[in-house]
Amino acid sequence: MYRPVALLLALALALSACASAGDEGAEIQLMLFGDAQELAGYEQMVAEFEAANPDVDVTLSPVAKQDDLLAKLTTSFAGGAPPDVFLVNFRKYGQFAAQGVLADVQPFLDASDVLDPADFTPTAFDAFRYDGESLTCFPQNLSSLVVYFNVDLFEAAGLPLPAMGWTWDDFLAAATALTDGDVYGLGTDPKVIRVAPFVWSNGGEVVDDPLAPTTLTLDTGPAREALDWFLDLSLVHGVVPPDREEQAEDSESRFLNGRLGMYLNSRRVTPTMRTIEGFRWDVATLPVAPGGTPASILHSDAYCLSADGDTEAAWRLVEFAMGERGQTILASSGRTVPSRFDVQASEAFLDRAAGPPTPEVFIRSAETVRATPHTATWTQVEKLADDILEEIFYGRLDREAGIARLIEDTRPRFGAS
Amino acid sequence: MRAGHAGAHASGAAWLLGPYGVGVVALLALPAALTFGYALTNYTGFNDPTFTGLTNVRRAISDPLFHASLRASLWYVVLAVPLRLLAATGLALLTQAPRRFGRLYRAAAYLPTVIPDVALALVFLWVFNPVFGPINQVLGALGLVQPIWLSDPWGARWAIVIMMAFPIGEAFLAVLAGRRELNPSLYDAARVDGAAPWQQFRYVTLPQLAPLLALLAIRDTIMTLQVNFVPAYVMTDGGPDSATLFLPVYVFDQAFEFFQFGYGALLTVLLLGVTAALIGLQALLARRWRVLG
Repeated sequence: MYRPVALLLALALALSACASAGDEGAEIQLMLFGDAQELAGYEQMVAEFEAANPDVDVTLSPVAKQDDLLAKLTTSFAGGAPPDVFLVNFRKYGQFAAQGVLADVQPFLDASDVLDPADFTPTAFDAFRYDGESLTCFPQNLSSLVVYFNVDLFEAAGLPLPAMGWTWDDFLAAATALTDGDVYGLGTDPKVIRVAPFVWSNGGEVVDDPLAPTTLTLDTGPAREALDWFLDLSLVHGVVPPDREEQAEDSESRFLNGRLGMYLNSRRVTPTMRTIEGFRWDVATLPVAPGGTPASILHSDAYCLSADGDTEAAWRLVEFAMGERGQTILASSGRTVPSRFDVQASEAFLDRAAGPPTPEVFIRSAETVRATPHTATWTQVEKLADDILEEIFYGRLDREAGIARLIEDTRPRFGAS
Repeated sequence: MRAGHAGAHASGAAWLLGPYGVGVVALLALPAALTFGYALTNYTGFNDPTFTGLTNVRRAISDPLFHASLRASLWYVVLAVPLRLLAATGLALLTQAPRRFGRLYRAAAYLPTVIPDVALALVFLWVFNPVFGPINQVLGALGLVQPIWLSDPWGARWAIVIMMAFPIGEAFLAVLAGRRELNPSLYDAARVDGAAPWQQFRYVTLPQLAPLLALLAIRDTIMTLQVNFVPAYVMTDGGPDSATLFLPVYVFDQAFEFFQFGYGALLTVLLLGVTAALIGLQALLARRWRVLG
């Protein structure tokens, strides 16, 4: 009675043992951060890669926040078990590159039959050349800071919709006209990466030397003008939700709830914006400073390979992700502005029905981007600067004293090793 | 025969305690020793650490964020420990007597302790919401000032202190058990002597519970200094302007965000030093108290 069952069990065990012993494929881990809306695209991309590459098994390890991603990467590197490949922002990869734990993608790209640099917008590549020459990580997207706006609110206020080349004055006039009761004209994080494009548009600089910065330069000349203009949005014009309102309901939620005219963010929030049903929305390029030039800031994540990982299998995943199919999947999810020319022109990206109705704004905006430094200590500088900027923006700290602190407190952080 | 029995007993104990011994060495003693070692190196988590002497110490001395962090931690202990002890003791003494729904009250006092840190922090983010939160709603209804809690250094510190005054279940249980151990005849005697409830508390309960309370104060100081990472990280992320950048949060930033393991290790050693100093102070006070009492 029991014997046949035992035999079957033994057979099943033996078979499964054979199956796993016969499978000599690679197992690689991909680590990245994103919310649920964003992750769906990566899950599909990984699933299709595995279907096309049965010998490679990919474990997707998502975390919720960028800070958590850094912590998880640090511990896994320190523990000797880093992910084979991970997606990280250009402002954050420098500290990994500085430690020599990354395998440059340049030799892989040079030898690749699948990827040709000529197929990609070159803009994002420079930010990921740690030594300024060879490509360290492969940029997956070409996002930039844009203005999300509520079309219905603009029309109700009788305002012209933002157009390419609109000016700071147009922007402020719209924000002022839209601010009414519990509706505010504009929402933005008071951060260095939000202020920077305004500084550049005005002909200023955020740091003294982008490649080897030693100090922030937001306190002088056109940079100071732009910073003041940005701070005035809150401190003088009151067109952004004040401290209390922002804490009660952050700008992203306020925009989603239809009570914010304009909201500054990158492509990252597009999947979330696509869930909006109550009103029409679109995107515009950032306004231009008086007598200035159009400018935006790069928002780009890249695939980095761990030197100690299975670089060969990891590169195959990168080839798939950056190939036409991979880029199409991620573009369809709304999450990325593809850096491949062919996918930029495809329906997957130009999905006007899903939104935004003018997707080419992201391409135009990307043509004007610059990047903040990517040195090993930039993460520390930026974190401290953001803390102080927030204090000034919400009027908790006097403007002059705050800007002096912004420069002085961050200066030692540039050299911290 | 007797000696053999005791020997068997001892070897049985060794077998039972063995796994814990291994755990303590592997999970506590060894990492602690490594931390002391790393504190004097330039370890980043990636490199082969080299000995750098007192470089990290000098860095801490001239690091304004470390000073802010130390201040934040000390203020937090000064505010939170007495409040937590008061809450635990008060609730335990109030609910210790058998009465209708007594169990319900005791369960309610313990309940916040079983809520995970992150969930508690998320709940209190709502509690302290400057517009929709119940605290400001009540303050508004009473015509009082409605602070923007998490924008103000003291508001943020108090918000975390108030939140942490709820998960006090262990101390609550300890005091509850301690109070029930007290000899009822002492209270009978006190009543016969005409002692009012307050006097019973002052002259019977408190002196009897004093050793327990001293122990709880020491335990809570350790907890409060070291286990405030999650609530601060979720509620304020060290802000505003470093007001709640408690030492564990700063250690995390340095070690895991900025790749400064060596410096983070040194800060951890300093945290240990601060903890030891505070406990020493308490032990000294408790001894004086006993001598005087």
